[in-house]
Amino acid sequence: MKLSDLKDMKVEALLSALNVKGREALAERFVTLGLPSKKSETYRYFDAETLFEKEYKTLDYLPKTIAESEKIIITDGVVTAAPKGLRIYTESCEQIDMEHFDPLYYLGHLLSPQVIKIEVDGDVELDLEHRFTQSETLISYRIVLYNQSNRHATLYENFVADAIKNSLVLYGYDMHIAQDSTLNVVKLQTMQSQQYNMVASNRVNVAKQANALLKSFDLGGEQGLQILKVDLDTRAHVEAGHLLYLNQDAKRGTVSQIIHKGEHSTSKQEAKNILDGKARGIFDALIRVEHAAKYTKAQQNSKAILLDEKAYMVSKPQLEIYIDELEASHGSTTGQLDEKQLFYLQSRGISYVEARKMLVIAFANTLIETVKDARHQERIKEAFEAVFYAAHQ
Amino acid sequence: MSTVMKIENLQAKIGDKDILKGLNLELEPGKVHAIMGPNGAGKSTLSKALVGHYDVEVTGGDITYKGKSIRDMEAEERALEGIFLSFQHPVEIPGVNNAYFLRTALNAKRKHEGKEELNAAEFLRLMRDHLEMLGMKSDMISRSLNEGFSGGEKKRNEILQMLILEPEVIILDEIDSGLDIDALRAVSEGINKMKDGKRSFLVITHYSRILDYIEPDYIHVLKEGKIIKTAGPELVGELEEHGYDSIEEEK
Repeated sequence: MKLSDLKDMKVEALLSALNVKGREALAERFVTLGLPSKKSETYRYFDAETLFEKEYKTLDYLPKTIAESEKIIITDGVVTAAPKGLRIYTESCEQIDMEHFDPLYYLGHLLSPQVIKIEVDGDVELDLEHRFTQSETLISYRIVLYNQSNRHATLYENFVADAIKNSLVLYGYDMHIAQDSTLNVVKLQTMQSQQYNMVASNRVNVAKQANALLKSFDLGGEQGLQILKVDLDTRAHVEAGHLLYLNQDAKRGTVSQIIHKGEHSTSKQEAKNILDGKARGIFDALIRVEHAAKYTKAQQNSKAILLDEKAYMVSKPQLEIYIDELEASHGSTTGQLDEKQLFYLQSRGISYVEARKMLVIAFANTLIETVKDARHQERIKEAFEAVFYAAHQ
Repeated sequence: MSTVMKIENLQAKIGDKDILKGLNLELEPGKVHAIMGPNGAGKSTLSKALVGHYDVEVTGGDITYKGKSIRDMEAEERALEGIFLSFQHPVEIPGVNNAYFLRTALNAKRKHEGKEELNAAEFLRLMRDHLEMLGMKSDMISRSLNEGFSGGEKKRNEILQMLILEPEVIILDEIDSGLDIDALRAVSEGINKMKDGKRSFLVITHYSRILDYIEPDYIHVLKEGKIIKTAGPELVGELEEHGYDSIEEEK
């Protein structure tokens, strides 16, 4: 399958090409938004067309027996392991956001009429591992996540790939965060060695007085885009933190829309970007405050450090405001490592490479330390150091 | 006379400005050398040149340490070989934990010397006595490096690093600036503790106050990029009384 073949297709032809029945509204949205290209606002800085021009094998996604495990394992889009007692099953998705700005959100739902549903019960911590084992394959799946009211749950996500080459992963969440609850999602992803590229298109619906804490730690190379649409109800809160540490000729980042729909809703979005080699980082983030969202508080900030003169950061924090009664701020800075700090460390006998590592981790630490669990915080630091040393061998 | 560091006809500039113009100086092991001079004489440029600071371009002459030229040596190599600069204005590094920094620096030195690295517990035991002597609160090592430290705390932290790294040539650039009497006493105590008859000190200062606490063996007057006079501690009184303008260059 070549995704570029879907370009400019009409609804009927699209449904026929994808072998999907009864999803005209989704197909209509995809056709209206169009297959992403350099001209698309959302994908302007991401080289989607190169990915779509490749021929990929496709998979059947037939459900398998789920082994009992301490963590959820999704292998090539199919659940293969899960903790005992966890409600995880495959079903068609009915609650699809018909106002999403991303065409691949709709394409993902068209490619995956059956989604993986996870119902998080109580105050729990879950580990979810995504495994990819197929080369030159389009791996497409979607996850629908529910939690319970008045509960605080955490999901730690990580990604493991076999010795594969050139696959494309299209996945994403529809998260429904229940009233008065907190859902904390921590995503750690190192991409390298041309194993796979990825677009993750997410929709997060945060109900009244609920909290969404969304942290992503994207490390290494390759192409990867995290797309995020967050809807905030009355007194709902989202705290989104994005760390990028990229090298080689990576093109990765976040394109997001946080939409304040209810009164007294609050958002805090912080991006830290460290770019080495010829890497390109993307932070293209909009916070929209709608008419009904009086007394909103919104903060948005992006900071970038360029470690190489060929590295490049696209930073576009944006506010779109339709009311007067709010507090909002946004900002963006891009710079280099402070040579005074670097020299100070070296003057104590610390090598240039080690001193650079200490400073880039120091820059990243404000986000890493928001992960309160010591074991997971250590895993993020270890992954960070592994990518750093691989680039400085 | 034995020499641990020899500076010969050193010429150096910062940007386009020539600052050191043929400076000669020899540091003897176990001695305290004080460099005094007016503003703009080149005192801080000298200290930066000795540790390989990126601001300073050495354009002529040489610096030898234990008989080996260090002119082209990187800053970290000079540090590992035993040259230490206590900065006039130590930089703040948010996010770098002070204890982690100190242990990394110490272990880099131990590795260079072929010794085993210290683990966190061994390191903390080593720290405890030093902290007490310097009047430093134990939470200062768990904070980010120099971040939010007062002027006195920063200088104490410099001396803490010196005590831990045990260098052989110690350059103290305006160590007394911004210190109250108690801090000055604590810092001086730390410095005097390092005097063992082998280590050399190069104390760079505007004022004689610090020299009441750290007794110098030699006073060198630096003016317009050169050492113009070298004498014993009695020169301090003369400078206090008549100022730098009264000093003529020795032929």
